[in-house]
Amino acid sequence: MLISKKICDELDDLQIIRKALAETDYFSCLYERYEAQLLRYVQRVAALSEEEAQDVLQEAFIKIWRHLNAFDPQLRLSSWMYRIVHNEAVSALRKKTSFGKDQQLVIDESLQSRLAAEWPDLGYNDEIEDREHAIRTALSELALPHREVLVLRFMEDMSYEEISDVLKIPEGTVATRLNRAKKALAAAFASYSSNTKRP
Amino acid sequence: MKNSERLIQAIKERRIAPVPKAFFTGRELLLWLVFALSALLGAAAFSVILFSIQQTDFYLLQHSGHSRLELLLSWLPFVWMAFLFVFLGLSMFSFRNSRRGYKWRLTHLAAYSFGFSVLLGTAFFLAGGAARLERAFDVRVSIYQSMEEKKIKVWSMPEQGYLSGVIETVDGEEMTIRDFDGKIWAIDISNAFVAPVLALDAGEQVKLTGRMTSEGRFEADGVRPWGGPGFRHQKK
Repeated sequence: MLISKKICDELDDLQIIRKALAETDYFSCLYERYEAQLLRYVQRVAALSEEEAQDVLQEAFIKIWRHLNAFDPQLRLSSWMYRIVHNEAVSALRKKTSFGKDQQLVIDESLQSRLAAEWPDLGYNDEIEDREHAIRTALSELALPHREVLVLRFMEDMSYEEISDVLKIPEGTVATRLNRAKKALAAAFASYSSNTKRP
Repeated sequence: MKNSERLIQAIKERRIAPVPKAFFTGRELLLWLVFALSALLGAAAFSVILFSIQQTDFYLLQHSGHSRLELLLSWLPFVWMAFLFVFLGLSMFSFRNSRRGYKWRLTHLAAYSFGFSVLLGTAFFLAGGAARLERAFDVRVSIYQSMEEKKIKVWSMPEQGYLSGVIETVDGEEMTIRDFDGKIWAIDISNAFVAPVLALDAGEQVKLTGRMTSEGRFEADGVRPWGGPGFRHQKK
């Protein structure tokens, strides 16, 4: 018997954890609270189908459940959960890539405006007709460490500190990686532009 | 069926229970313990490196007939340098894997770990701990050649102008010493530089430069104290 949404909504994250440790059903509150957000993230970072992403999320939540006692209340619960989901997604992505299957990144429509706002010098411009396709292509070409910081920063709207907590890297490294990702993205846009201009 | 239900069902069916908190607490404590121990051992290794630098007779590098590089390499405390790097690496590894260790850049972590080893190691060295540690290591590890042994080896080559031992008697411009193999030598010190800090008294350990004039006789051109204050040779 799952816990009703009304009861779940009345509890904060830490209360849910405490209650879930006493009664497993309460763990469903956590799943329902973060499912949509984390599912989107898996699809954004790992280019998996919705079905595959659901499987990844289920496995990730089982890991979250197993490690519930390891949660450090000094962290934001969402950052900690993103970390576990991220690792699971990356692991699934590696398995998938090794089988040479196609990848299809799910990107956010607002990404291009966020990128343009933060990095006006990025290099994609009005000459590119299908910007969404350009971004998807460019992101797909990026190395995973670059893609993941971009997704966390511009799609998940995380601060450097939160990204640091998710990826378990120092904040300075987050900044460095974002800077490199920006350069890689600019190069990917340039490549995309030159390819689409050809007759 | 909702995904949340599917999840709870899977947890129940597979009887998956959260790992006890004690496991994570124990793991964290273990990491900190490894960090503390390796930081301390790294500091101890650094103190012995300092000690070996103190024990190195740098002036020999200029006056020796041996290759300078050969002498320098023979004195470099490779074992302790290796210990220092291993323990530095271990302390960094354990710290980095602790709950919030990922917040630190590896370069900063390396700098702080090394700085800590330098500070604590220097204090340990100044307190005389390094010499005792090195000797204890020498006694317990048979293949290890201590700084003292290396030094004795270098200073037991009278044919090449290096001699050492304990002063037996001093009589004006002559003295006798017993070398570390127990052999008695008559030393002419009439033209020798005698280090000002050295008291030419019986029982004092000294090292001599000069030349061997005949069997059991040595003409010294330099007489220096063997080591730091209170430093005495102990055979294995």
